[in-house]
Amino acid sequence: MSGPAVRTAGLTRRFGRRWALRGIDLEVARGEVCALLGANGTGKTTLLRVLATLLRPTAGTVEVLGVDVRRGGDSIRGRAALMTPAGHTYEELTGAENLRFAARMAGGTLATEGVREALARVGLADVADQPTRSYSTGMRKRLELARVGLRRLDLVLLDEPFTSLDEAGVALVQEAIADWKAAGAAVILASHRVDDARRQADRVVRLERGSVMAEGGSA
Amino acid sequence: MRRAGAILWKDLLTELRTRQGFSAMLSFAALVLFLFSFAIGPETELLARLAGGLLWVAIVFTGTLALGRAFQSEELAGGVRLLRLYPGDPRAIYLGKLAANLVLLAALEAVLFPATEILFQADLGSHALPLAAVAVLGTGGFSIVGTFFSALTVHLRARELLLPLLLFPALVPIVLGAVGATDAVLAGDALGRAGGWIRLLTAYDVILFVVCVWIFPIVLEE
Amino acid sequence: MNWQRTLGILALVSVAAGTLLGLFAAPADRLQGDVQRLLYVHVPTAWVAMCSFFVVFLMSTLYLVQRRLAWDLVAFASAEVGVLCTAVTLVVGSLWARPTWGIWWTWDPRLTTTAILLIIYVGYLIVRSMTEDPDQRARWSAVIGVIAFVQVPIVYLSVFWWRSLHQPPSSPRSMASSIGGVLLLNVVAYTIAFAYLVLRRYRLAERELALELAGPERER
Repeated sequence: MSGPAVRTAGLTRRFGRRWALRGIDLEVARGEVCALLGANGTGKTTLLRVLATLLRPTAGTVEVLGVDVRRGGDSIRGRAALMTPAGHTYEELTGAENLRFAARMAGGTLATEGVREALARVGLADVADQPTRSYSTGMRKRLELARVGLRRLDLVLLDEPFTSLDEAGVALVQEAIADWKAAGAAVILASHRVDDARRQADRVVRLERGSVMAEGGSA
Repeated sequence: MRRAGAILWKDLLTELRTRQGFSAMLSFAALVLFLFSFAIGPETELLARLAGGLLWVAIVFTGTLALGRAFQSEELAGGVRLLRLYPGDPRAIYLGKLAANLVLLAALEAVLFPATEILFQADLGSHALPLAAVAVLGTGGFSIVGTFFSALTVHLRARELLLPLLLFPALVPIVLGAVGATDAVLAGDALGRAGGWIRLLTAYDVILFVVCVWIFPIVLEE
Repeated sequence: MNWQRTLGILALVSVAAGTLLGLFAAPADRLQGDVQRLLYVHVPTAWVAMCSFFVVFLMSTLYLVQRRLAWDLVAFASAEVGVLCTAVTLVVGSLWARPTWGIWWTWDPRLTTTAILLIIYVGYLIVRSMTEDPDQRARWSAVIGVIAFVQVPIVYLSVFWWRSLHQPPSSPRSMASSIGGVLLLNVVAYTIAFAYLVLRRYRLAERELALELAGPERER
């Protein structure tokens, strides 16, 4: 298993007449943490969604974990995960049930202790059996973090992971990023919170209007 | 598919928790049946003859309501497309939703059939088995096409208008078949005419199921 | 553009010829009189409506396989022309039925299926008009186009059966052989006209799409 975690050449994505991504060339190595910066609407979310195989590229080549996104989408989805800004929670279900659902959709099952443990790790143990309808935004974010962290991943895509979180929550995310990196996974993190994003980044990529504007090491 | 089962479980759990969906369906169906009773008049013989047709009209109206909500819970959670983030065949989503819709409609029909028997003096009980077969085939066909178009229209603005519009042509064989078979069974002709309709419904269900399952991933693509 | 014009002229000439023949040269029906001449419009438009439906299906499938927007545009053009033809078929059929049999509408299987065809087309076109992204639009249209084609034969079958159970099938279409030739000419003429109209509409749709996709690229 060698080769970069992500390699794109000329990645372009259009929505009707709006060009969200214009010719992105990006390479992220395994075990690397890459921060994706840029104001709102510059294409960060679109890029992450293409890498997660949610969106098809309009043009260009995109290889994730050595697989062409247009062809091997399924194998990518088994080893990569996307943390969405708003989270993916079903209001009527409890936190624990949401995680159980996520685990089953990902192809495995999670014993009750596994669910409890995952929730405890993000500090949601005491609200595990309450419907997520009652969760605050910060709690939903933590639940989303737990959802992403359920399985072993080779690529982690984080879309605005820090928003709505208090200090403790931000620390949780950073801890998770460190763990993923230590396990050899690549992490691409998009955020408009520049300082938080930069702190752990090995590289920084700046997007502006769908194109890569600048690249560099951290700090 | 286990993932389809997961979706089924999630949807049923949600429905159990709120219960408003089902009770809304039930009240609506009851309303339809009552209104028809009033509109047609108290002639018991007429009502009994029309029972099959009225029953299925109530089922279709109510079913369309249920379909409209089928993917709404997904929209509230962030969009049905997010389910595609998980590995595995996206068709599991269709199958799970289809199963959930079938369970819901089955629960509805468990109430509607006796209600029709009472309101319209139709003797449904003594033909329970063949009627059950017709119910399965008719409801199945409805759900197969309905779930499909529901997934398609959930992303469109005029969803409430478009779903019935797209659904209507697909429903013609189902309604004709289900009502035809129901009437034939009630008239005591279980194997003759009813048999013909049942064959038609079965063929329709099978063909539509295969096509819908096959094509479904394209509906979710982006 | 060259053979588009040729096609157009050919269409115009043949439709004119067919109409004139239908109006004056063909024999009037013994029982129905001149109203029966509406046949020369009704049958060809019905035929073209079926053709366009098939073309929509074909193009939808091609698009799903190759993902080329051109196929989707042809399907769209065919659907627009098809809607028109279907509507005309129904109206002319109604106009013909009224003086002949005294009714505006009947649940004749062919008629009913044609009406349902119209509804399918309308649904297809409305979905298109509500979808902004061209690729999304093409995908959903293609899906509808394919499913619709699968449904229609069964719809026809079920209505036919339903009718035959309640009434003996009455087919208001018994034709004397002497009018067959004129009818055939009209059918061919209308088919050519169909091809021409679809071609024109396709070209227009191509330009519309280009306009849609151009627009200001510099945003925000």
